[in-house]
Amino acid sequence: MIDAVDRLLERALARGAKAAEVYAEQSSTHRVKVFRGAVEELTAARRKGVGLRVFQDGSVGYAYTSDLSDASLDDVVATALANARVADHDPDSVLPAPRDKPAAVDVFDPGLEQATDEQRIELALAVEAAALAADPRVKSVDESVYADGDAQVFVANSGGVRGSFREGHCYAYAYVLGEQDGQIETGLSFTVARKPADLDPQACGAEAAKRAVELLGATKSKTVKTTVVLDPFVSASFFGVLSSALTAEAVQKGRSLFAGRVGEQIAGPGVTLTDDGIHPDGMASAPFDGEGVPCRRTPLIADGVLQGFLYNVRSGHRDGRDSTGNGARGSYQTMPGVGPTNLVLSGPQVPIADLIGGIEYGVLVTNAIGIHSGANPVSGEFSVGISGLLIEAGRVTRPVHEVTMAGGIVSMLRSIVALGDDARWVPSGSILTPSVAIEGVSIGGV
Amino acid sequence: MQLDDLSPDLLNATIRRALRHGGDFAEVFVEDRRSLGLSLEDRRVERAVGGREAGFGVRLTSGDRTYYSYSDDLAEADLQGAADAVSAALRGAAGSVAVTNLGALRPARATAAIAVRPDTVATDVKAALLRAADDAARAADPAVTQVSAGYLESRQRLLVANSLGALVADDRTRLRFTVSAVARRDGVIQTGYESLGKSLGFEIVDEQIAQAMARAAAHKAVTMLDSRPAPTGPMSVVMGNGFGGTLFHEACGHGLEADGIAKGSSIYEGKIGDVVAAAMVNAYDDGTIAGEWGSAAVDDEGAPTQKTVVIEDGRLRGFLYDGLRAREQGVAQTGNGRRQSFRHVPIPRMTTTCIAPGDATADDIVAATERGFYAKTLAGGQVEPASGNFVFGVAEGYLIEHGRITAPLRGATLVGNGIDVLKSIDMIASDFEVKSGICGKDGQSVPVGTGQATLRIATMTVGGTG
Repeated sequence: MIDAVDRLLERALARGAKAAEVYAEQSSTHRVKVFRGAVEELTAARRKGVGLRVFQDGSVGYAYTSDLSDASLDDVVATALANARVADHDPDSVLPAPRDKPAAVDVFDPGLEQATDEQRIELALAVEAAALAADPRVKSVDESVYADGDAQVFVANSGGVRGSFREGHCYAYAYVLGEQDGQIETGLSFTVARKPADLDPQACGAEAAKRAVELLGATKSKTVKTTVVLDPFVSASFFGVLSSALTAEAVQKGRSLFAGRVGEQIAGPGVTLTDDGIHPDGMASAPFDGEGVPCRRTPLIADGVLQGFLYNVRSGHRDGRDSTGNGARGSYQTMPGVGPTNLVLSGPQVPIADLIGGIEYGVLVTNAIGIHSGANPVSGEFSVGISGLLIEAGRVTRPVHEVTMAGGIVSMLRSIVALGDDARWVPSGSILTPSVAIEGVSIGGV
Repeated sequence: MQLDDLSPDLLNATIRRALRHGGDFAEVFVEDRRSLGLSLEDRRVERAVGGREAGFGVRLTSGDRTYYSYSDDLAEADLQGAADAVSAALRGAAGSVAVTNLGALRPARATAAIAVRPDTVATDVKAALLRAADDAARAADPAVTQVSAGYLESRQRLLVANSLGALVADDRTRLRFTVSAVARRDGVIQTGYESLGKSLGFEIVDEQIAQAMARAAAHKAVTMLDSRPAPTGPMSVVMGNGFGGTLFHEACGHGLEADGIAKGSSIYEGKIGDVVAAAMVNAYDDGTIAGEWGSAAVDDEGAPTQKTVVIEDGRLRGFLYDGLRAREQGVAQTGNGRRQSFRHVPIPRMTTTCIAPGDATADDIVAATERGFYAKTLAGGQVEPASGNFVFGVAEGYLIEHGRITAPLRGATLVGNGIDVLKSIDMIASDFEVKSGICGKDGQSVPVGTGQATLRIATMTVGGTG
């Protein structure tokens, strides 16, 4: 692959590109899905591709291919150069300078290579078995999945950046259906690691089951403005949406609620949010980002005060500063954007029992749906469907569902009154967060 | 090797190789997709991205088990390797089925002719559409502070061969144009969005259309600046036409996909013939509508698409099947076996899902509503098919008071349960319209359409902050 990267870069420059960058990836993945003790789906795959970004007098063109033949690479160069002629002049589109060393973070464990299909199937079966054994009200485990990926990433540019790293991960998850008196509720949990031996299928299955059956018997809540406690799963979704407003690109394009607010109190006291691209336990950690810029730690909110934003090379150049190593790349098919790595929410933590014990009336939210349609990081409006457990006089009493939760993202952030002591990693977005208590949130039911 | 170089002999040999240790069905899916995407933001055409992805997947099924291997190398050795990988996974299983030799190649006929192939139009002309949209949205109102616009064309060629003897080729062109406007006033920011997507060529868009879409997006964003927080609680909801079809897509459609039925994870399982909606509700999925975004001549297993009635006069009539679930259940497949790309196995998916129009007018419905919520444009939604609980966001909503549309309302979400909501539909208008969108399920995104006329739900829960 490194040969194709070098060939492509040489050809681009030979054909007249003023500056160029190649991003390439090569990976192998496995996925096993089981149902009722048997394999439902087993997938083994290889994937590869290269993307070329050319810089022509301040205009950028991009092209990609999964076919690494010479003819195809020539096609890519021609397409990228043609696209650069169409794009508008952009003085901020530049290459990063090759002055920094990649971050010293290890994101591959050789234990991943030892995995066999038998072990993968066993892990998925163990997740399902644990969920089924957890409670008689578990109707079925709709999805019990094990998956892993082993990828090599390459970035090289005409300014002298040339690097690669190997990344490996594996995970398992269970999506459980609980049933009681004809009512069905669902629960999800997961386990993520760098190698299969570090996964905990029992805990994953058992927790997914617990999350489903604890909602059985749920009714609608009354319509009220009250305190909610977002559990780590839901908190991760909330902060995942919020993080898109914390990129410099969103600020520069007038799409961020936080524009011009650096130094202001935007969240409850004590609330600290950090983008940590080199966290040893973070699955989004990497030696460098999609532009070859070393990953690092970037404070976003400290003690409730907005510290700054996430930058890639382009948005950094526009503000006269360096990239923070947040040049995010969906795949070789996309140009680098700006996005978070691992987000870590921290602050003074209260034992979760005390946190709930101090609430007269509220909802412990364990599931939120419609986040991608119901939360608007531009306007700051947030309205989603939730289910969870009612808190009355400091105790969790009964489940509720078909309820809406709505508020403004900014006012919700400011109304964070406490963090629990139950911080954990949530993989969709790679966020380390505890439970979060927020006052004055609108709950819509009957 | 390229897609056109794959001989029926090689495909047949791959299928036989996949089945040599057992199994009851094998398939080779080959795809070659070229795309061009342009996006404008901040007054600049920022991203001009073109590319090509080619690869194949070999699928083997045995009972309800599926084995899949894919690669983006198209050499003979890669096909053999993938066949070996799936057959090894099945080693030790019971005997194998006979493989039917591949028939003559059957090229699928597109649902509509492509008048102007997008790849024959200069990229400059496409970029000019984005700039025209940008100018028009900004000119529409001084409160518009940011505009983004996107153009995407793709041409997907595919070849499907299977052990039942099918050998089908398809050639799909899709084109999509979107405009999003951001308006800002006194610290309030609102957005407006318009999209157009068809399985057609460049003939569907020109500068006038781009400008009109831009003005509409700007108008939505500016209108919402004057909005007040949506109320919270149960009320009558009038769903707008077109995007309102997201209601049916989420509330019901996903629960009718046969994978959930087979696994007992849909509330519609075992309910064929039951009343699941108001008697006035007739609903269908139709992959054949000429030129629609969600249409194609064949699905991603090479099966012809069709119109499938799912609800007739309020009673559940049918489900949406791919080949695997249809064979399991001993029923005919409905042309709903779809996949995002060769990197994914086909699963039952909707195409364009519609609630048939009624006789009322949209005005009648609003006039008949004393107090309610008018959800003119939806922002998308999500459902848990097992419980039927769904939610969707409202991009543009208004209060209805005394039979008239009054104040714009912001920040609302609608929640409900599929069957409850379909049963409480009590008026349907005749202003049927189809809108295009992207639907995600099991990590796969496919183009879909929603068709609906304005309709009313007697009561459902609105979640706002007011």
